[in-house]
Amino acid sequence: MTARLLGSTRRAGSALPFSDERHLQAHQFLVDEAYLLDGQDYPTWLSLLTEDIRYLVPVRVTTARGAGFDTAPGMAHFDEDKYSLGLRVARFATEHAWTEDPPSRLRHYVTNVRCFATVRVDELVVESAVLLFRSRGDVRESALVSAGREDLLRRDPTGAAESAGHWMLARRTVAVDESVLRMQNLAIFL
Amino acid sequence: MPVQPSTTSHSQLLADVRRGMIPAHIYNDAELFSLERERVFGRSWIFLAHESEVPQPGDYVVRRVLDDSFIVARDEGGTVRAMFNMCLHRGMQVCRAEVGNASHFRCPYHGWSYRNDGRLTGLPFHREAYGGEDGFRRGEQTLLPAPALDSYNGLIFVSLNPTAPPLREYLGDFAFYLDFYTKQSPAGIELAGPQRWRIKANWKIGAENFAGDSYHTPQTHTSVVEIGLFREPTASKRKEGALYWAQRGGGTTYKLPPGTFESRLRYVGYPDVMIERMRTSWSEAQRRMITEDGFMISAASLFPNLSLVHNWPKVAAGSDSAGADTVLPFISLRQWQPISAGETEVLSWFAVDAAAPAEFKKLSYKAYLMCFGSTGMFEQDDVENWVSITSTAAGVMARRLLLNNRMGLLHNNKPVTPPLAHFAGPGTAHVGYGEYNQRAMLALWADCLERPLAPAARTELGAP
Repeated sequence: MTARLLGSTRRAGSALPFSDERHLQAHQFLVDEAYLLDGQDYPTWLSLLTEDIRYLVPVRVTTARGAGFDTAPGMAHFDEDKYSLGLRVARFATEHAWTEDPPSRLRHYVTNVRCFATVRVDELVVESAVLLFRSRGDVRESALVSAGREDLLRRDPTGAAESAGHWMLARRTVAVDESVLRMQNLAIFL
Repeated sequence: MPVQPSTTSHSQLLADVRRGMIPAHIYNDAELFSLERERVFGRSWIFLAHESEVPQPGDYVVRRVLDDSFIVARDEGGTVRAMFNMCLHRGMQVCRAEVGNASHFRCPYHGWSYRNDGRLTGLPFHREAYGGEDGFRRGEQTLLPAPALDSYNGLIFVSLNPTAPPLREYLGDFAFYLDFYTKQSPAGIELAGPQRWRIKANWKIGAENFAGDSYHTPQTHTSVVEIGLFREPTASKRKEGALYWAQRGGGTTYKLPPGTFESRLRYVGYPDVMIERMRTSWSEAQRRMITEDGFMISAASLFPNLSLVHNWPKVAAGSDSAGADTVLPFISLRQWQPISAGETEVLSWFAVDAAAPAEFKKLSYKAYLMCFGSTGMFEQDDVENWVSITSTAAGVMARRLLLNNRMGLLHNNKPVTPPLAHFAGPGTAHVGYGEYNQRAMLALWADCLERPLAPAARTELGAP
């Protein structure tokens, strides 16, 4: 199956008013998702991803203004589909995923949410900023990752998805705000 | 300030390391780190970049050897140089991006500018301010070149030691093994990345681990076997591999099932079109390591801080018509760039045969991302261990504990398992678990720490 790229679902007009029901549902989706990620309830999180999910976290690079690019060509931190995300989630269900045992204390702060209609009534583009705080162990320094996100939400046609408005995540592109991550790994999701 | 080793303590420490007992504080000791900066990283050949990262004239990447920033640029004539990224005038970085394409680098401070071959071409008010050539000979100046630069299979190395032996001599017999990763076809490899991230771990731990720690695989990486990502690293299987050490580097291998050159490379997921090129690209001895010995390279390290890995995970759900998992190999190069005694920046690249089919490159990249790098399922658990070691090594008790690095040696220094009598590659190889390579790595480290370097010549800019 070919993952639909964001470009194929163009934004229709400017950001929806914050009072629009679609904005409210999208915002709630992101907040509910943040709680799932903080609690590392990954099986539930996985159930909110479409079968053709593409989860992309490019590597940012420092380039001259005017260079025309600020990501490393052909490289990402995450470039995932349902299979690889499923394996990552399955790994945390084993008793041997040492990097998260003991688990990190996580807090995803989600803000700057805005939502755009698309030409398809069943799809929304949602932008947000996320700040992840992560603390491991008792004495280690905590770590932060700041990032911008662009999501494509698609309404579950079966209505089975247990999310606000039955929205599911079909595509996420995360622009981390550091070229060199100050975190021992991304064993967590943004 | 250069740190002079206090003779007694350091000679005792180096002697301990050489007999396979590691004073645990070497993994987090600021004084030793100062000495490493000068005598390990000031002397050795250090990997900077691969030629495929700067394919076109004007392409550049900026890389470091510890605190020294170098612009690795391809000039208009196609020559690749490494130039110290410091303006000759007041010391500003002339390039503050990390990757790009430029014909010139202009210092933002006073506007001195340099061509991408390092030559100083622009010096504002040269005549009025300096009296022209009589006061400052502009035409002779270039950004300081790396004291030594050389390449092997497109891998660009520099040494801060102007009298370093030639790179090929430095690599020695390890070059034989480097070819498995970097010369699968005459086209060589191409690199993507690097992912860069910082870990609170000492740089030596990763280098030693990749050099020869097959013993950790079944324990640390249990989870990746359990989820069916990589079938090989079961405890019983991992110890059937050979560990080899060849002068400046060494690595681990997996024992392959019986078969031919072709069937064994197919087993790890190479398509026939790539196998055919490997047949002509590798020497007869290199082919025999697969055909006769039946060993396939996995992790490896080149002293001091470059590591490589080659594994073949299951890249997609399902199985082929014969019911076998669809596995596909990937290669990663990684550098353990020291930041301090207790912190390392990891640079991790995906590498692939430049002549590989596009579909193979795509899947191999996916295999890499699942296994190694900032999100890799192998690497995540490795780093957790290394951070923990480094943190504990900082204290007083770590100065009293000598870790046993003698696996594979009896008390009488005889090996538990004799070296392989028949092994196609150069150096020494043993089947089974052992810390042969970690000892060899730290022996090179001890050799460096023991020997001071002659002071390097200084460069005076525009002096009379």
